[in-house]
Amino acid sequence: MSIPSVLRAQTAPTDARTVRMVMGDLSTFDPIVTTATMTGNHGLAIYDMLFSLDSKLIPQPQMVGKWAVSDDKKAYTFELRDGLGWHDGTPVTATDCVASIRRWGQVPSGGKLIMERASDISAQDDKTFIISLKEPMGLLIEILAGAVTPVLYIMREKDASLAATEQVTANIGSGPFKFNHALAKPGASFTYDRNEKYVPRHEPTDGFAGGKVVNVDRVIWENITDQQTAFAALQAGEVDFHLLPPADLYPAIESDTNLALQVLNKAGDVYFMRMNCLQKPFDNVKARQAMLHLIDQEAFMRTSFPAEYTRTITSFFGNQTPYTNDENTGWYKKGGDQEKAKQLVKEAGYAGEKVVILQRTDWAEAGNCAQLLAVTLRKIGVNAELAPGDSALNGARLRNKGSVENDGWSIFITSESDYERSTTLSNPTLTANGEQGWWGWPQSDEYEALRAKWANVETLEERQALAREMQRIQWDIAGTVLLGSVLSPIARRKTLTGLIEMPSLTAMWNMQKVPA
Amino acid sequence: MAAYILRRFVSTIAVMAMVGIFIFLLLRLAPGDPAAMIAGRNAAPQLIASIREQLGLNDPIPVQFMRWVRDILGGDFGTSIFAGRPVLELISQRLEPTLSLAILTMILSVTVGVSFGILAAWRTGGLVDRLLAAFSAVGYSVPVFVIGYFLIYFFAIRTHWLPVQGYVPFNQGLGPWFVHLILPTVALGLGYIAFVARVTRASMLEVLSEDYMRTAAAKGASSYAMLFQHALKNAGVPILTVIGISFAYLIGGVVLTETVFNLPGIGRLVVNAINNRDYPIIQSVLILTSGLYVLINLAVDLAYTLIDPRIRY
Amino acid sequence: MGLLIILALAAPLYAGDPVNIDPFKRLQPSSAEMWFGSDNLGRDVFARTIFGARISLVVGMLSAASAALAGLLIGVIAGYSRSFDNVVMRVMDGLMSIPTILLAIALISLTGPGIGILIVAIAIPETPAVARLVRSVVLGVRERPYVEAALCGGASLPKVLWRHILPSTIPALMVQGATVCASAILTEAGLSFLGVGVPPEIPSWGNMIASSRLYLAIAPMTIFAPGICLAITVLAVNLLGDGLRDVFDPRAKRRR
Repeated sequence: MSIPSVLRAQTAPTDARTVRMVMGDLSTFDPIVTTATMTGNHGLAIYDMLFSLDSKLIPQPQMVGKWAVSDDKKAYTFELRDGLGWHDGTPVTATDCVASIRRWGQVPSGGKLIMERASDISAQDDKTFIISLKEPMGLLIEILAGAVTPVLYIMREKDASLAATEQVTANIGSGPFKFNHALAKPGASFTYDRNEKYVPRHEPTDGFAGGKVVNVDRVIWENITDQQTAFAALQAGEVDFHLLPPADLYPAIESDTNLALQVLNKAGDVYFMRMNCLQKPFDNVKARQAMLHLIDQEAFMRTSFPAEYTRTITSFFGNQTPYTNDENTGWYKKGGDQEKAKQLVKEAGYAGEKVVILQRTDWAEAGNCAQLLAVTLRKIGVNAELAPGDSALNGARLRNKGSVENDGWSIFITSESDYERSTTLSNPTLTANGEQGWWGWPQSDEYEALRAKWANVETLEERQALAREMQRIQWDIAGTVLLGSVLSPIARRKTLTGLIEMPSLTAMWNMQKVPA
Repeated sequence: MAAYILRRFVSTIAVMAMVGIFIFLLLRLAPGDPAAMIAGRNAAPQLIASIREQLGLNDPIPVQFMRWVRDILGGDFGTSIFAGRPVLELISQRLEPTLSLAILTMILSVTVGVSFGILAAWRTGGLVDRLLAAFSAVGYSVPVFVIGYFLIYFFAIRTHWLPVQGYVPFNQGLGPWFVHLILPTVALGLGYIAFVARVTRASMLEVLSEDYMRTAAAKGASSYAMLFQHALKNAGVPILTVIGISFAYLIGGVVLTETVFNLPGIGRLVVNAINNRDYPIIQSVLILTSGLYVLINLAVDLAYTLIDPRIRY
Repeated sequence: MGLLIILALAAPLYAGDPVNIDPFKRLQPSSAEMWFGSDNLGRDVFARTIFGARISLVVGMLSAASAALAGLLIGVIAGYSRSFDNVVMRVMDGLMSIPTILLAIALISLTGPGIGILIVAIAIPETPAVARLVRSVVLGVRERPYVEAALCGGASLPKVLWRHILPSTIPALMVQGATVCASAILTEAGLSFLGVGVPPEIPSWGNMIASSRLYLAIAPMTIFAPGICLAITVLAVNLLGDGLRDVFDPRAKRRR
């Protein structure tokens, strides 16, 4: 203790009403143009939504005050609640909402569906707008309220009139936080100030719904890229929150009396792999089915996560969604079934073709799964090779539909939240429309026909029945193979409380700092 | 002299242009897709394609190149593809932490390194000399991030004497600024102290073995006078050269140090830009660092004339 | 040094499989089966350390060799031909002015990690230093009477280069080579730390240290084993460089 106290005082924990969060890099600001979770979080802070999901994932009005559906269920009228204003001081109008819906309607498939089915979306007056449909659409409100990126955040008409591919960087919303442009350091840190003019709803906060009451003056997102340093900063009280601490630090976090782990996304994330259905050997359905049998989910999850945070998963529609079911899941076997996989690979006529697995070097968990996959494939005689690369390299290579000799790929690994696996209409990973569709390009017209029905049916029971049928097809065509499910707790100082427990996105209202 | 400086300036610009062309081609010819980075994980392929179109990445490379050259010549270093802000603004925002770290490290390594080297040369094979050998073994062979972790563990986590990470701008107080830079400077500096000390020792020994030094010793000059008046002056040139050259290496070390200690500097900026494929930032930072490198070496060359009047240009 | 090379070459004879993954045996302590325990994917740390020696030494030596060869060629040309000298040396200045790590990160991120590209990425920025050195030696030698005499005596240019000039550059080259080798091994470790080193599946000391840095408290061997090997090797290579300098520079020897 030989250092003078003047110096030591500077290392004291952060101010009482400032929260410092280690989040990750926010590289794109426009929440419509990207699926990046961080941009979704950024949007959740500075923008507001027409409808939001509550903790049971049921949509509740947020910016909307009153709304009504016509008797023929084709016309929806929405009236904005009082007190909504942009950060630049101007009021939020119905025209802003219409422009925002139209821009968002060009990007996610759920939005596109609304645009296809709508005969008119227009403002009636300053506070009222309507959506008129050609035919009834039971899921309209669910889609508007969806928390899958890109989320329908409401922007000023000026911003929303840009092309959907041109990025909005004004960062002016009507949400509970204001983006601090002066303190923004892209790649290093971003600062969000409490929006004093924000008028929360009167209902208590519930998931993303209810009153968004902000209890802190300022939130700073620190992009600490080194995990070890981030953990040290948390220990030293220099930051209050770490969104994604590596699983191997869980024991150290638990043993520190000032720190706690907390699972915000109770349903967890699903890791899965996709195979290139256009090229050998996975153009043969048997080779793809072999992968279903091969995977030992517990082993894959254990490459990065402790057992108590992982689960196996057999439903195409996630573990905890309303549509999870056990249709056609006979392939699952604890520990995997290498013999069966070997046999199927043989039946597929596999002749030693090279299988290229894309391995993420900037995402340790997915990279570890890729390494185990390579080792496992080699054990059943498949000539597997890893192609390491970062996100951008990976992204460029995924575009290539060609063979591995022409720099194509065979398998890649990714993840999404369990909740996202229930958003059948919005999520590109749940499609099977061949070369039009998502990476891997599995095709089943029968599946797509069922998916088209999804928007039309009225009740949950009908959708659940559809989900069983769709899952049967998915496990037959095996375009996607599940690797397991995992809960990823956040780490926080115990002085930070009131965090909102929701899937997909991280909300910053309601939380508060209590004196230690 | 003036003509010499002018000539060097012209060649500096040539070097920067060359680096620019090299980096441009490297970036555009390699695979990697900023559009995929913007659109995010699990994005729809059609969206990525339209973003590429929007960014002009589908234009032929010569067209992109000419556009870029035109902008640069007009003093426009471009706008970050991601942040939507001028690159120069982003760079200037990040300059302070990097320069602070680099300058502090240089001061530390030159003062400590040179004195260490002189002492070692003074009594070759003595205690200091041996300590130096051991110290430079460590300084040379342990990666910066390992040193960084140890420093954080002992001085921040265990004792709470110093902060773990982060940066406080100079204008928010000299104390906090300095406190946040102590650990990074030491972590980065160890290797350079070793390096400078060894170079100093070697050049001092070189000079001390010259005939005129022996003469001086024979004439009874004190060891103090020998070391500082005669030897150091003559050994100054190689020491300076090495400092100039090591600037580029220093910037390399800065990248690692900034990552370990979470300093929002140029190194982090460019690594981040490389990950995102934010082409304008990568190009500009590399061109500017290479320009700075050449200028520093020019300054070093000019400093020779001050140290050693025999050198003329 | 020699011992290290032998150990590395003989690795398959006595060490286990460095690639096999067993997620159920993560971060195990030392045992008879795995002498240094296992890493975060349940791989044998001892086997990886031993096999890692191969990669790290190969990266170090090949980087040094390619930088030396390229530098030699460029240096000799620049030193001999006045017309080339200016152009070539300005290009070298350009390369030298790009910080090693940044160039390496850029090259590797852009093309994907691989040992080949890693060696190229490390060798490129080291080349100019070698070229400068060789050039200065050549400039010094070509003025010597015996070289001028050989040229006047009708010996062809390549022959003079080969007979008289090349041999005199060898000592300087070897010293420089050792330095490049040591710094290449360290650079590889730094690049692995930033996630752009040797591909994660292939064991190298750099990526072992980098990928195990979270486990210092839980499984210290995962970081100590490769760390100590790295330190010893770099030290050995540096000492080799010093030794070479002593041999080739008689004045330095006299001082000791």
